[in-house]
Amino acid sequence: MRKIFPAEELARDARFIRQTNEQRLSDPRGTRVAGGNASEQLAKLTPGLANGPDRARALMHGIFVGEIQALEGAGRTCWDFEVGEDVPFELKLDMARQCWDEARHCEISVSLADHMGTELGEFAENGLLYEAACNPDPVLRLTGVNRALEGLAIDVFNTMKEFGNLAGDPVLEFCEDWMLADEVTHVKMGSDWLRRLTENDKERLEKALEFQKVVDRLFSFNGFRGEDDDSPIQLTRRFRELAGFSDDEIDEIADMSREARAEAPS
Amino acid sequence: MTDTKRPREPFAPWDRRSLPGLFDVEETAERIGHYKWVEMKLFEALGGWVATVPELDVKLRLGTHCYHHAWHADLFDKRLPELREMKTERLTVPANDQLVAFFEAMTEPEDATMTIEKLVGVYRVLIPHKIAAYTYHRNATSEITDMPTVRILDFILQDEFNDWREGEMLIQSMIETEAEVERAMNHQLKLEKLMLAAGGIAGPGSIGDPYVEMPEEN
Amino acid sequence: MPEVSVTPESFEMVFYDSAVIGEVVAEVAERLGIDEAISLEIDEQSPLGRSKITSYDPIELWVDGGALENTQRPRQFGKARSRDTIGRLLIRIMDRRSGRFDDAPADEDLDLNQFAAWDAHCVGRLERLGIGGQQKRRQYQFRNRHGFTDVADAAFTQLWDSSELSWTEIERISEECRTS
Ligand SMILES: [Fe+2]
Ligand SMILES: [Fe+2]
Repeated sequence: MRKIFPAEELARDARFIRQTNEQRLSDPRGTRVAGGNASEQLAKLTPGLANGPDRARALMHGIFVGEIQALEGAGRTCWDFEVGEDVPFELKLDMARQCWDEARHCEISVSLADHMGTELGEFAENGLLYEAACNPDPVLRLTGVNRALEGLAIDVFNTMKEFGNLAGDPVLEFCEDWMLADEVTHVKMGSDWLRRLTENDKERLEKALEFQKVVDRLFSFNGFRGEDDDSPIQLTRRFRELAGFSDDEIDEIADMSREARAEAPS
Repeated sequence: MTDTKRPREPFAPWDRRSLPGLFDVEETAERIGHYKWVEMKLFEALGGWVATVPELDVKLRLGTHCYHHAWHADLFDKRLPELREMKTERLTVPANDQLVAFFEAMTEPEDATMTIEKLVGVYRVLIPHKIAAYTYHRNATSEITDMPTVRILDFILQDEFNDWREGEMLIQSMIETEAEVERAMNHQLKLEKLMLAAGGIAGPGSIGDPYVEMPEEN
Repeated sequence: MPEVSVTPESFEMVFYDSAVIGEVVAEVAERLGIDEAISLEIDEQSPLGRSKITSYDPIELWVDGGALENTQRPRQFGKARSRDTIGRLLIRIMDRRSGRFDDAPADEDLDLNQFAAWDAHCVGRLERLGIGGQQKRRQYQFRNRHGFTDVADAAFTQLWDSSELSWTEIERISEECRTS
């Protein structure tokens, strides 16, 4: 088995259809986000929206494929790097633990998708998340995946938990709360390893934070994740603080979302 | 042809209930270092394979089992300093080059069509050998002086049995044709030969020696 | 076969073919026993899934391009999705023309609960005709509007399984689980 497994080759059964980045970006109608679309007027994702339940359903499918890719990414980090030469033993143990967590998240998301009436493979999959997990520098990989993407997962799960609460859906609220606990742990892993591995390497720290920003920006299309009342996905300060984000870092993500929103085609 | 006249001990080598332990501290540390190396190689491979298998249930099981073996590696790693080895990586080594060759062959399959081979390597070859070596060690070490190792091995063996059963069931569920039976058997055959050359996961003596030296005739 | 006119005739943003769309609409209409001209206007710019009836007589329908889209392949036409979208609109027209819906408020005056209840009844019947389905999806929408309770689930089943309920009956079933 090779080191660094390309995103295009991620193994899927016939139900899953991959949408390439070119296809995604060349859609003149705008980029799809959070089970909705960039061209849609921004609104916080709640059951009160006419298409709220359907958007939540589509978002759950997005979460499900995201969990598969998170599992695959954490698994590859176990394989791609050598203990001692590239990474400490304990980092790999964390990644193996994350594999187990993400496998459970897949199981939870499959069950939730069924609960919401979504079939596996019903929506297109894009490999953006896993692509961030292909970075050959383990510090950059962990920063991009565990801090940027898993940070986004915190925001998404918290929004879905509130959605479940507002809809009176005890299953959704219960599951999202558990997944949220795991994701805070994963983001914290990213924060801790970033600090430990770059303690004496400022340049690498800066590179890693820059990569995190690139990934954060990729997932900020149209400012769909932010702190404004009508941001479809709400930026979650409290859980991000628990996971090792400083106030400045959270402010920066909020600003980035606001910029992306201002730049979005109306 | 089996030599039926070849005498064996009345007590199998792994049945040492009333005897003191077979391993001293140094030998125990060495064996545990080998075990840790095996657990690491295994969890790394399971993690790496997740992205390469299209079968959703297999993907999720590999992700789950990956952590089990990482946890085993961690347990062994924590035991080493208690056995006077402070630099644990010094003993985290393969038992021999043949075992390295075994792992290279076991982790070679990558293609999405090779899930049967991936599973056979782990669940029909490696894990049965791990269960054998751990059981031998657990039964052959002193339950008084080395109880911490026994306790670790008991936890680990429980995982190994569960994972072996799940893996074996996945294999059975994937084999649907005679050709697939042959694929599974051929791959097992190839890997078993390599494991034979290695002498087990801790090298020769992984599960003791069941044979007796014949005394010279009077 | 009913005559179907599709606007626009050609598409710039999505890979749709108006002739294929016309065939699918005609096929659904025929299966429902509708044999009159239908016009369908598509907003290809919108990937959302909204749809509405702009005129009951003559039949004029309006949909977002996304309501006819293959969810697995963005920008591609989705036959199953289109059958579901068009089927729901046409069966609502049939309901309103049946005399059983004479006391129903106009479409624009219906709230989300009422729509969810009527939809459950429409899609259940469509599924039995071999058009569309996705029962669990409709049930999830219904639960979001009527509660995640056994009472709401029983109401959904009744709406789904019944043939030709009147508006008054749909309203009663919907209201009963909202107040429970
Ligand atoms: Fe996750
Ligand atoms: Fe995670």
